[in-house]
Amino acid sequence: MKISSKATFAATLMLGTMMLIAASIGWADAQVRAAAAQRRHSVEIASALNNMRMVTFEYLLNRRDRARLQEQMVWERLERLFASPVTLDGAAARMLASLRAQGEASHRLFSEVEAATGTGTADEVQRRFEVQLSSRILILQQNSLVQAEQLIHDAGARIDEAQHRVVLVTGLGLVVMAALTSATAWFFRRDVLGPIARLELATREVAAGNWSFELDVGSSDELGDMARHFDAMTRALRDSFSRLQASNRDLLGLNKELESFSYSVSHDLRSPLRSMDGFSLALLEDYGDRLDDDARDSLQRIRAASQRMGRLIDELLGLARVTRAELRIQDVDLSAMAEEIFSTLARSEPERRVRWEVEKGILVRGDRELTAIALQNLLANAWKFTSKVEKAVIRVGTRVDDGERVCFVSDNGAGFDMAYASRLFGAFQRLHHERDFPGTGVGLATVQRVMHRHGWSLGAHAALGQGATFYFRPTEKVDERREQDHPAG
Amino acid sequence: MNEESKTILLVEDNDDDVALTLRAFKRSHLMNPVTVVRDGVEALDFLFSRGAYEDRGAAQPTLVILDLKLPKLDGLGVLKAMRADTRTALLPTVILTSSREEQDVIAGYSLGANSYVRKPVDFAEFLEAVKILGIYWLALNQVAPPQ
Repeated sequence: MKISSKATFAATLMLGTMMLIAASIGWADAQVRAAAAQRRHSVEIASALNNMRMVTFEYLLNRRDRARLQEQMVWERLERLFASPVTLDGAAARMLASLRAQGEASHRLFSEVEAATGTGTADEVQRRFEVQLSSRILILQQNSLVQAEQLIHDAGARIDEAQHRVVLVTGLGLVVMAALTSATAWFFRRDVLGPIARLELATREVAAGNWSFELDVGSSDELGDMARHFDAMTRALRDSFSRLQASNRDLLGLNKELESFSYSVSHDLRSPLRSMDGFSLALLEDYGDRLDDDARDSLQRIRAASQRMGRLIDELLGLARVTRAELRIQDVDLSAMAEEIFSTLARSEPERRVRWEVEKGILVRGDRELTAIALQNLLANAWKFTSKVEKAVIRVGTRVDDGERVCFVSDNGAGFDMAYASRLFGAFQRLHHERDFPGTGVGLATVQRVMHRHGWSLGAHAALGQGATFYFRPTEKVDERREQDHPAG
Repeated sequence: MNEESKTILLVEDNDDDVALTLRAFKRSHLMNPVTVVRDGVEALDFLFSRGAYEDRGAAQPTLVILDLKLPKLDGLGVLKAMRADTRTALLPTVILTSSREEQDVIAGYSLGANSYVRKPVDFAEFLEAVKILGIYWLALNQVAPPQ
């Protein structure tokens, strides 16, 4: 049974009991009222009967006309009282009927006495007849008084009885109400509080990662439905979790495959290149004097191409390494790092005159090795693309953009057309000709990967012939989960 | 110990690489005799004087140049077996390979390699590397006395 049905049932039962109690009280009250009315009526009848006896006495003693008139008035009052509509129980009604009969009899006897008095013949027989009549009247009246007293007493007993019944009914009703309330509380505890406590425990268990927790509630009420839905939800979570684990395993496998692939690339693809370069050089060295310029040029081209392909393979491997490397987040001093890279660049090309300006104390939270790779690529790019400028200037610094700190590397070199900016960060994408600026087109792709691994955003702004600015937003907090992001690159 | 006995064992399966390495030796004026073996098992047979090399005697080479990617038993397996045997435990061994993978370098050194050199694509660079290797391991380095 549903909890709502149970609640409706309990409420109906409670209301019914209360109405029953109210009806009983009302009925008992009516009983009391009726009994009280009967008592008042009986008292009035008794008082009238008493009056009647007094005036009858007086008339029989003195035969005064005033007493006779009074008897007539009292009789009329009695008749009105007998005729007045009072609800009575069976015994009282019978008693009242008998009172009425006695009253009528006594009144009739009184009329006979009066008639006899009116004749004026006062002989012995007549006198004895009158005494007899008088005695019968007085006996009748005495009887009536006794019966009236009985009526009053009965009415009082009836009142007592009705009042007693009210107390009884009220008490009984209260007991029933108490029992109903207790039963409701017990049901509430068993059917509502108990299941809710189990549900609460289940949510805690599942939240703690115990996917196998099952509620297994058998009841068919709303909480049972809820428990079943909860179990279904846990099962769905468990399923998707195991699917996630499976795809994680797949990814791990893919990652391993990629690793072995890059291993072979680094090992097997480089080997023929070495042969090409080595034997070309051997030819040049051993037979160079017997070859003409074209032949020597061709051999040099073979060597240059082999070496270039070797570099491409190395950079591709580097790109893969950036994707796979585990992040070790720490404080990284970008300023010091930039200074070091500039010094190395300057040593490698001592004939270049480049002015570099590095803002002091740029600290970011990131992986030192990957950040160095990214910065190396950015600075080497700036270095390369300012090679045809008279006064090359490269700046590394920070500025606040939309309330966030942004690091930038800017140069006044060749720049590029923003129309091609979308291709900027793709691997092997180049915006300049090889003969103008040599390169493989992997550098910025590597920078992009490093930024992505850190969760930093990378952007660029440039114009052809007016230099380029690369900026990135090093967020303070690195999302560690990103380490699992794109493990296969 | 005279100069002639300072032999080099070259463990390399790629003919081109063998030719280029020998050429590099020659051009670096390293006149030491070079024995070439083509796989890991053959390398161990040579070092432990067994199988086809049963009769070669007990003299060990002065330097072993070891490629990592080899048929049958790979270079790391050879190194592990060498370091486990007293006859070859202290033999100077240089890993000369095309791999630059971090795990190979770490594994090589953990197993007791004395050097790890990567073969560059540019033969001029390779020549330079071989020259330095030869000078260091065959002329400068003092080998451990035989046990």
